[in-house]
Amino acid sequence: MSDSMTADASGKTPPTSAARVAPTREASAIELQGLHKRFGRDTVALAGVDLDIEPGEFFTLLGPSGCGKTTLLRILAGLEEADEGRLQIGGRDVTDVPPHRRSVNTVFQSYALFPHLSVRDNLAFGLKMQGLAAAECDARVAKIAEFIQLGDLIDRRVDQLSGGQRQRIALARALVCEPDVLLLDEPLSALDAGLRSQLQVELLRVQKRLGMTFVFVTHDQQEAMVMSDRIAVLNGGLIQQVGPPRDVYERPVNAFVARFMGHDNLYPITARDGDRVTTSLGQLRVEQAGDGELLLIRPETLDLLPGDVEGPNHLPARVVECLYRGSHAEYRLAVADTTLQATVNNRGRHLPEVDERVTVVVASDDLVTLAE
Amino acid sequence: MAYSGTLPTARSRAMVREARHLLMTVAPGASWIVFFLVLPSAYLMSVAFMSSGTYGLPEMPLSLESFRQLAGFGFLGWSPGNLYTLLRSLWQTLVSTALVVIIAYPIAYYISTCRARWRPIMLLAVVVPSWTNQVIRTFGWMNLLAPGTPLSGVAESLGLIAPNMGLYPSNFAVTLGLVYNFLPFMVLPLYAAFEKLDIAQVEAAQDLYASPLRAFWHAVFPQTLPGLLAGVVLVAIPAFGMYVIPELLGGGKGMMLGNLVANQFAGSANWPLGAAGAILMLIATFIGLFAMRRIGKRLGGGEEVVI
Amino acid sequence: MNKRSFRRALAGIWWLTLLFLYLPLAVVALFSFNAANSAASFTGFSLRWYQRLLGNEEILSAFANSMILAIVSSVVALAIGCLIGYGMYRHRHRKLGWLIVLIYLPIVLPDIVFGISEMAFFVQIHRLTGFLQPGLPTMIIAHVTFQIPFVALIVYSRFVGLDPALFEAAKDLYASPVKRAVHFMLPTIKPALISAFFLSFTLSVDDFVISFFTAGPESATLPIYIWGAIKKGVSPEINAVATLMLGAVAIAAIASLLFSRRRPA
Repeated sequence: MSDSMTADASGKTPPTSAARVAPTREASAIELQGLHKRFGRDTVALAGVDLDIEPGEFFTLLGPSGCGKTTLLRILAGLEEADEGRLQIGGRDVTDVPPHRRSVNTVFQSYALFPHLSVRDNLAFGLKMQGLAAAECDARVAKIAEFIQLGDLIDRRVDQLSGGQRQRIALARALVCEPDVLLLDEPLSALDAGLRSQLQVELLRVQKRLGMTFVFVTHDQQEAMVMSDRIAVLNGGLIQQVGPPRDVYERPVNAFVARFMGHDNLYPITARDGDRVTTSLGQLRVEQAGDGELLLIRPETLDLLPGDVEGPNHLPARVVECLYRGSHAEYRLAVADTTLQATVNNRGRHLPEVDERVTVVVASDDLVTLAE
Repeated sequence: MAYSGTLPTARSRAMVREARHLLMTVAPGASWIVFFLVLPSAYLMSVAFMSSGTYGLPEMPLSLESFRQLAGFGFLGWSPGNLYTLLRSLWQTLVSTALVVIIAYPIAYYISTCRARWRPIMLLAVVVPSWTNQVIRTFGWMNLLAPGTPLSGVAESLGLIAPNMGLYPSNFAVTLGLVYNFLPFMVLPLYAAFEKLDIAQVEAAQDLYASPLRAFWHAVFPQTLPGLLAGVVLVAIPAFGMYVIPELLGGGKGMMLGNLVANQFAGSANWPLGAAGAILMLIATFIGLFAMRRIGKRLGGGEEVVI
Repeated sequence: MNKRSFRRALAGIWWLTLLFLYLPLAVVALFSFNAANSAASFTGFSLRWYQRLLGNEEILSAFANSMILAIVSSVVALAIGCLIGYGMYRHRHRKLGWLIVLIYLPIVLPDIVFGISEMAFFVQIHRLTGFLQPGLPTMIIAHVTFQIPFVALIVYSRFVGLDPALFEAAKDLYASPVKRAVHFMLPTIKPALISAFFLSFTLSVDDFVISFFTAGPESATLPIYIWGAIKKGVSPEINAVATLMLGAVAIAAIASLLFSRRRPA
């Protein structure tokens, strides 16, 4: 009790406690090769997925519903069998290993806490099933309870817990088994926004302290960017792009990834001449022109100058709509015969108003071309 | 690794495993029911198409004699006895189901309007008598309706029955017994329907229609119809095949189809005739279930009507 | 008619119905304490019929038969029905229409057809093979047959009410198939199993028609004994036996009420 009090008070647990909970062995890598999965006759969930996940990485599978991300996670857990392909965890082929013999644990979207057991027995379930002695079970449950700061929740009944509490118990129940890999299936989606961002931070700290490999599934690109070391964006059972959040956000490889990461300013390229590309906005110079068919302009890279100003990559525009958000303002601009979104940070300077004529300045090294 | 070649069959292996699992869990129960109910009833049905031999046991050759007998044709020409029994079964089912509806409807409504904490207790009070043994319940009515009891005395003084006769055995006693027996089966589904009643609709109806009667007819009654139909299935089908109540309260002139069937397997044995009667009962049962399903589906509350 | 008198009329119907429902049972209980050997008038309080009961070998053996039948059949039905209920749940995405029909068959079949089918079948099997002579074993078989559907449906609906992820969580937390059954499934459906057992038990003790047709000369249960006694001519002892059975039901009713009170969910 006093231990958990000090942990509560200091707000962070000393590094030694992480070592107590974390396995002393190295974190495990995951290797997927050529995974295919169909449901029924026609529903293709995975259409050939190859992926390497580094040891100790916080790796996120991101995509809309039906993109195959949950199926991929379930194959990692062993809850689903791939039709084709191999899966290695920590250098061992586990393709045909049933879930109860895999050193992998899952935090389920619905938490899936056993209703017939107390919190303590829920935490001990995995250890008991592995045949650990009662004393060792108790010790490890006590440690994890302190690590996750469960406090007096430990003796409650499961149906007396709030959503956030259940979430933390589910996390603790998986962590106490000290798996090679922890899988998280949209674990925060059932929580309200405030609690959600609080638990995002908490989850991230836990992962950094344990150094365990986390595979996280979400459909929320903000959440993915906040938490991940790397993100894989999935669509139609295929991986579209893998990379650190900044890469995926700033250099999406195709229109799907760009749109899914929240980008709207995509313009088909109608002509190109060296580093100059022509779109419906007009002609713009692009630092790395590549050979993509679409031009992506991120709203936050744009500058708005009042009035008509001539210059390279300067576009004359008229303000159509302005949404004032406090920290920034979002603009819809009419440029040539199309529209363009721009975000302007509120630094206390003049914010153009509706119908005002402005000039949009586009930095050539912020422009990206990408595939359809 | 030595795994090559197993990949394409992962799917079929999983299917085989699932099929084996289905077989292991379902087979004991399914084969129990097949062996100890489907086969016996198939056998019984086949008996109806055999001839009656020594001690009434079924014999070859195949014949339709049993159905002729059921229709009333015997050694001494045609007699209306069996036909009367059949009509009586139908009539008793009809009357008792109607009476049960008339009593259960206000009861179910009343329970649904009482305070929430009383409702489970009230429901229990309605259901508990049906937990007691049917023979004992019927025996209770024998005690109440016997000659010399207060109830019989009242009936006598009203001139409804002859002096010293008692109210049983009689068709009236059978109806009473059936109503008593099946009342809870109607109250429960009706109560469930009332509890789900959309009050907004009722209030809208009170707004739209002047009289409470019309509001009831247009807003309340249609919503309780699925529950009512479920109750009718639960009452009418077993009532039609009732054996105990007519046997104890009906006497010779109160016999129903169930008694006719049962008698052919005891005393005056004639298995094929009894089997023919059983077939008739089965046909009635399945027509009843099928009709209710159809009506239920049309009402949109199909799920509830399928018990 | 105003609202108030409408409510009053409803309350009147309610109390009359209660009287209707409990009067026959009350009469049986009352006459079991009757000093006189008559069903027509109550002459004074006496326990003589209960005393007689204790010396009546037939009744005692009928009671024993009822208990053996109810317990054995409920246990067998629980095992078989539990398996089938789980199978129905696990494979609920398949087309199992044939299984549903099979499971509802014992419920919708009229008692009398059920009983006579079994009797005719058992008699013929016995004639052909010498097995299955009418008696307790045939009664147990028949009772299990009508108990299986109730157990299966109760267990199935309990499983359906669970979060499907629980089954996966158990797998994920290193529970082998056997351990899943012992440490997860059975404890989780325990309330359903208890209520299925009690329902099976009650159905068995309550049943008359099916028992009557599948019984042998030595295997009369309490309802069959009471039936015989009524047919032979009413003896006040029946009131005493019946009252004891009513008492058991009353206790069960109170217990179920307390049980449901304690668990609001």
